Amino acid sequence: MMTFARRRLRNLTLALIGGMLIIAGDWIARGALMQTAYISGWAMLVLMFLLAAYNVRKKLSVIPLFSSSAWLQVHVYAGVVSVVVFVVHIGYVMPNGGLEILLGALYVGVAASGLVGLVLTRTLPPRINSRGENVIFERIGPIRRQLRERAEMLALESVNAGNVTAISQLYQDRLVRFFAGPQNLWSHLGQSTRQRQALLDEIDALRRYVKESDRESLTQIAELVCLKDDLDYRYACQCALKGWLFVHIPLTYGLLMVMVVHVVVVYAFSGGAR
Amino acid sequence: MAQRSAVISRPQRWDTPFDPDMAEADVDRVLSIEPFSQIDPERFPTALPLHKLILNDCRIVRARPGDIIVREGDYGSSLFFIMAGTVRVAIDSMPARMLGRREPARKGLLRTIAQLWTNHRTTEYRDVQGYVAHGSGAAQRGEGEQARIFLQDVPTVLDEHRTATISEGSFFGELAALARIPRTATVFAETDCELLEMRWQGFRDIRRRSEAIRDHVDQLYRERSLKSQLLATDMFRDLSEAELDEVADQITFETFGEFDWYGSFKRLPAQDPARRLAHEPIIAEQGHYPDGLILIRAGFARVSCKYGDGERTISYLGRGQSYGFEELAEAFQRDRAVPFKRTIRALGYVDILRVPTVIVEKYILSRRSSKVPSKTERSPHDADRRWDQSPARIETGMLEFLVENRFINGASTMLIDLNRCTGCDDCVRACAEAHDGNPRFIRHGKQFDHYLVANACMHCADPVCMIGCPTGAIHRDLQGGEVVINDLTCIGCATCANSCPYHNIRMVEIRDETGDFVLDEHSQTPILKATKCDLSVDQPGDPPCQRACPHDALVRLDMMDTRAVERFLNR
Repeated sequence: MMTFARRRLRNLTLALIGGMLIIAGDWIARGALMQTAYISGWAMLVLMFLLAAYNVRKKLSVIPLFSSSAWLQVHVYAGVVSVVVFVVHIGYVMPNGGLEILLGALYVGVAASGLVGLVLTRTLPPRINSRGENVIFERIGPIRRQLRERAEMLALESVNAGNVTAISQLYQDRLVRFFAGPQNLWSHLGQSTRQRQALLDEIDALRRYVKESDRESLTQIAELVCLKDDLDYRYACQCALKGWLFVHIPLTYGLLMVMVVHVVVVYAFSGGAR
Repeated sequence: MAQRSAVISRPQRWDTPFDPDMAEADVDRVLSIEPFSQIDPERFPTALPLHKLILNDCRIVRARPGDIIVREGDYGSSLFFIMAGTVRVAIDSMPARMLGRREPARKGLLRTIAQLWTNHRTTEYRDVQGYVAHGSGAAQRGEGEQARIFLQDVPTVLDEHRTATISEGSFFGELAALARIPRTATVFAETDCELLEMRWQGFRDIRRRSEAIRDHVDQLYRERSLKSQLLATDMFRDLSEAELDEVADQITFETFGEFDWYGSFKRLPAQDPARRLAHEPIIAEQGHYPDGLILIRAGFARVSCKYGDGERTISYLGRGQSYGFEELAEAFQRDRAVPFKRTIRALGYVDILRVPTVIVEKYILSRRSSKVPSKTERSPHDADRRWDQSPARIETGMLEFLVENRFINGASTMLIDLNRCTGCDDCVRACAEAHDGNPRFIRHGKQFDHYLVANACMHCADPVCMIGCPTGAIHRDLQGGEVVINDLTCIGCATCANSCPYHNIRMVEIRDETGDFVLDEHSQTPILKATKCDLSVDQPGDPPCQRACPHDALVRLDMMDTRAVERFLNR
């Protein structure tokens, strides 16, 4: 089993060599006054369909068409090479014309979302694990509901004990909304713990106003706040891990369609230039 | 308009006899032959009469000269008694071609692709007509198993391979049937033979109630398993027949722990580590002087050393592995006694063979001491691990986790690296696609650090789920040894699900094509079936779950291959 570092080094080296060969080939061909745009254009088309084929492979998981991880490696590094081919294809200048600008923008969108997705898939899972035991995405809702019920129970118990103005007021003012659903998603993605700390400080500050017997309730509420915050953190990260594909895949379909139109238009208006 | 639920009879133990053609006269004949004639029928309960056991759990098999009866490496859940004729057991391994081995029957590419649109939308759909046909005896069960291959040139085989004769009135195949291990040797008919084949479930019930049968088979079990076990080890495989006999005579058998370890195992997590360790019988203790080499014959052992006030796990041992060689070799070279450097304890149930020091010195050390590499010469990448006792580089906490939870039992444990897993569920979808829309594992389970052992069947080396299945529905696949369930013969008793220490078998309520539950005609309650991961044995390629993981997070690992575990954990 090859280590990840070794595989990354091997694949990156191959992609870089491939990219450099493409640039060198383009430079030589341009020197020989060849029309490289057609070659790079077709190369781009093939690469795009190869990259898009990965999504088809994922749908056909029972068919032994190599492992999905091997396909992902090809997808990632073919994507890297496609950036070089794209730059060569546009001739190192910004595209002009409505269709070309749209095509270029779609490609940049797909490549950028792919890069973001790669970074997210490599960085978020370890962060999720740093917040305790694994929780399946679909179970987050039920667990959140359990936490809310436990917090609500503690607040109600404090009312029964006659301490209406402290714990129950805190629950009413601050915790009802906090436990109602996912909170602070963007802060979690930014690794901020400011809101969590603010809430814990508020709970801590309340200790001086409650009886000795109710302090235990406050401790338990603080624990529930931490658990809920960890759950929200997981929810935010898992949403990001799933969400980037909702940008990457639709843009890819758009790109493939506009690419086909682009090829038709190029050949329709080439006037025998090829 | 409401659909009426399909109704069938609840399956029972002997709905599907081992051989529907087994007649009363055959049973009477079997019971007139020794040692069956010595069995006291009065010792059997009325619900489980001896006569019925023979009728339903036995079949008479006829073989012609050269017919292969059992093949080395196959998993079998039956044993044989020779009623007439003689058979030969091959002491050497025979070539796979000669044994007629072939690729497992897997779905072709077109049938695999067709699953994409032929899978049913109904959860746990079953073809009810299949059960009805099966229950009435019209199904073809057993026909395929009776198909035989044969050796074309028996005299040449006898010339080229070492064989031994087993004659009328003897049992064979008892080792694989009782110890849940692969067949250790190939057996073929030497003459026209008449054999009584017994399902191990039935034999288990007879053995429990008949001392004569128990003593007879246990003796065979000890004698035959020992020699084949010794020949299978690197240390003794080069010995001559006479030397092997001497070694076999000197070896002592020892058993540690409980055979039904999985019952008490479920209660262990409630205890603190020190008390758990106290439940593990010591096989060899650190600081004590060895009196021989320890060979693990069955089960698992924890290797640990003293650390602080407790014991730190260093590694674990499984069937076929040995302990104590390093100490014996050092003692032999330095000519002074060297104590055990580690303690080994029985995890659950362990059968060991103790090879006396004099035998090790006479047949191994005196001949091969020059070939034994010193400790510093041993490399983790050394291809020849014959003498390598060095533990794999697995972090202690992880080792303790794997051993405490008995995950070391897994031959195909699903390990997920949570630092790589994005929760995309491609593995679950792939599994569902391969199983008519029903995933056979849960991406959830016990976790240590960033590793998760998912609730997926581990296809254990010691598959305790197979103990107690009344129909033999849960069995080893004959080709790859995977533990699989025959849905047609599963009666939904949940014995396997309750026995599985890892909670990896799930009972499901089956439905017909309208989506309604299939009901038992008597109780009107849903029919249950046991389901679990079968490693998609009928699909081409690797298990779909592993193949579908885009991030190299999920692997299926044989936990006895500690080097593979080490490589996965240290990627």
